[in-house]
Amino acid sequence: MPQQLPLDELTLALARINGLLLTEEKVDRAVQLLAEGIRDAFPGSSGAGVSLLDEHGNRTSTGATDPVVLEADEAQYELGQGPCLTAWATERTVLMHDVATDDRWPLWSQAVRDLSIRSVISAPLMAGTRCLGALKIYSTQPGAYDAATARPLEKLVVPAATLLANIQSSEAPKRFTQVLTSALLSRDTINRAQGFLMHRHGLDQGAALQRLLELSKTSRQSLFSVSTDILTETKSGPDDG
Amino acid sequence: MTGDGDRGRPDPGSGLEQEQSRLLRKALHHAGIRHGDLWLRYFSIGGTVGEYEVDAYIQSLMSLPPDQRDLIAHAANELIDEFPPLPRAPYLEDLIQ
Repeated sequence: MPQQLPLDELTLALARINGLLLTEEKVDRAVQLLAEGIRDAFPGSSGAGVSLLDEHGNRTSTGATDPVVLEADEAQYELGQGPCLTAWATERTVLMHDVATDDRWPLWSQAVRDLSIRSVISAPLMAGTRCLGALKIYSTQPGAYDAATARPLEKLVVPAATLLANIQSSEAPKRFTQVLTSALLSRDTINRAQGFLMHRHGLDQGAALQRLLELSKTSRQSLFSVSTDILTETKSGPDDG
Repeated sequence: MTGDGDRGRPDPGSGLEQEQSRLLRKALHHAGIRHGDLWLRYFSIGGTVGEYEVDAYIQSLMSLPPDQRDLIAHAANELIDEFPPLPRAPYLEDLIQ
């Protein structure tokens, strides 16, 4: 029997992986556009930013309209505190009327004192029950945002988060690679065990596979584990079987 | 597809092949195993036929060589064996211990 790999499937698998990696770029682009759109939609805002976080609170993607937003953002993740992290963790919109007098995140307020940021509103990116991250709008003026800002912002955030959830898949390529790697490892192990049996007992490939299948059937162990056993025994010293 | 000329042609054992794929289909359905998962296991244990062809075989729409059919059956049985066994009823003795 000719050993032919199902190349169609491997090609498809690789295409899927590449496709997913491309998707990550698309996420960055989408996040960037979202930040710009939000800044433009809320007059009086100096900048806006969107951060996607994984379940441990690590940033996976960031979009910002200007360097000030990035710097203020950076400070939050370095210090582990700030309005966006709170919005993400509590899954509620956070309003900060005046950075200079609000004492909820003292380290962060201190860090952004020299940036032209006076008021902030940050909303969680909720996709169903999952919180993907947070977006925020900054203003150079205190008291720029209130509950009347929060409502349209929250309305905007829900569909945005749903769309982001569908293209955000930074975990998927990793998982897929693991599946492919373990499939290839298993194939390789079984092939080597077949080769060993062929050599040891003078069998052809088909007969060697039959022998492995028999062993697997009678021992109720998987073909992979039977093959692993054979190869381990080979290492630890051959018998005359 | 491969260039194997024997594939797709009915052979004297085609009645058995029909029976083999029908019972495979039944077993997969009963265990709730998806065809994609079966193919991945079959590929992992050395299967050489593509996912599309395996799917067609499961539906008795395509003929495969006997060794590949047995490998598909083996892949299915490995997956079935990995399911947790059904809970058994305890005897009084089991409860006292």
